[in-house]
Amino acid sequence: MNLLHPSARVVDAATGERLTPAMIDAAAAEIAGQPIVFLPMPTTVPAVARYLAAWRLEKPVLLLDPDLDHRALIARYTTGEVHPDLALLLTTSGSTGDPKLVRLSRSAMLANAGQVAESLGVTGDDVAITTLPLFYSYGLSVLHSHLLRGATVVLERTGIMQKEFWAAVGEHRVTSLAFVPSQYEMARRLRFDPARYPSVRTLTQAGGRLRTDLVADFAARMDAVGGRMFVMYGQTEAGPRMACLPPERLADRLGSVGRAMPGGTFAIEDGEVVYRGPNVMMGYAETAADLARGDDLAGVLHTGDLGRLDDDGFLFITGRLKRMAKVFGVRINLDDVERHFPVAAVAGDDRLHVFTEDGDVRALRSKIAEWLGTHFTGVDVRMIEALPLLPNGKTDYRALEASL
Amino acid sequence: MTELQRLREAFRTALDLPADEPVDDLRYQDHEKWDSLAHMSLVAAIEDEFSVMIDTDDVINMSSFAEAARILGKYGVDVK
Repeated sequence: MNLLHPSARVVDAATGERLTPAMIDAAAAEIAGQPIVFLPMPTTVPAVARYLAAWRLEKPVLLLDPDLDHRALIARYTTGEVHPDLALLLTTSGSTGDPKLVRLSRSAMLANAGQVAESLGVTGDDVAITTLPLFYSYGLSVLHSHLLRGATVVLERTGIMQKEFWAAVGEHRVTSLAFVPSQYEMARRLRFDPARYPSVRTLTQAGGRLRTDLVADFAARMDAVGGRMFVMYGQTEAGPRMACLPPERLADRLGSVGRAMPGGTFAIEDGEVVYRGPNVMMGYAETAADLARGDDLAGVLHTGDLGRLDDDGFLFITGRLKRMAKVFGVRINLDDVERHFPVAAVAGDDRLHVFTEDGDVRALRSKIAEWLGTHFTGVDVRMIEALPLLPNGKTDYRALEASL
Repeated sequence: MTELQRLREAFRTALDLPADEPVDDLRYQDHEKWDSLAHMSLVAAIEDEFSVMIDTDDVINMSSFAEAARILGKYGVDVK
């Protein structure tokens, strides 16, 4: 099975440029000598051509944010020894200081593209539009699941707060929009009305927890026009999707992230969500030598999330084993933040809240956001006279969370 | 504070800019801090500051400080 269905189409909304087999041939010739393809991935047809050329040549690709300097990362992972199953390498966090990569096999990526396409019912008539970077696992998953089924993917570099984006949705008769929680907040702010875009039949949500009132709100908006909303759950380590909540169960399972994708199963082990399925990564890489390693996990992923399963197999996420925040789809280790800055850090909905006893709040916010490689609106810095302490002298995080 | 000062202040707060940075010539996406996420904060800040509800088309057309001032005129806020 190939990732690229012969009738799949990729078109650039701004320039009209279309992906052709000749472009992939030309890109394949250019990368033929490289054991690993280090690929800065802007949302353009030539970048997609190069990515698909690497797939065809069965060469591993490391997808990179084109706006960042990755020389240190590339130097770290340059090697001629790579495992033959290795297809894709993705970074695990936005932190430029953390070089750890997720190793994904060709079969895991193909399996997950199929699982997502089946869960959403993607067909050759569907038209997706890019709403997220292609070097980010959710954005890439939209590309994969649509290419696999012979659908169309419209490449759009603006965002949902710009009129060019909505013009492209109308012009290309886009059927499916994929948003992370912050984009649902934007769509709410825009008073998104699916009746204005009658081609749009499907909304999907992933990239962190969306508050349930917004889930219900957007599900109702889609329901009113005969469309559908899917809540999904995943991690880059699972290529990336593990669960999907079908629209017809959304009302009676509000707050759940759904059931395991076809071919996958969940178990709760000591409170932790453990996923088993064909889409689980081979393992992490921290050095170039790790790229020669085979499958370390045998299809079992300990997610680090805490959760519970109901009798019908619906999963509810209740927390994290480690102190983590998820901001704009990127995981942030709260203890790491505290090691680098003189603050106490707690997680909010799609936001990192930090408390400091002294210093310049604005400057600190910029520094933390820059260090994390995240957007400054995802970081909230507050002054506090004295951090609340527990009797054992440790920071009282519950009290800090309660003060938000 | 005049309407113009209030609008400048809303821009500085939403875009995380220093108090003395001039904002009257700002344009969407020309400034490194004014992207889609900041745009959402900006619209929220303007709506809160002037107690208005800005329409969808006006939100996506608000492409500069001058345009924001013009759009506010439609909602009865005279920025000058």
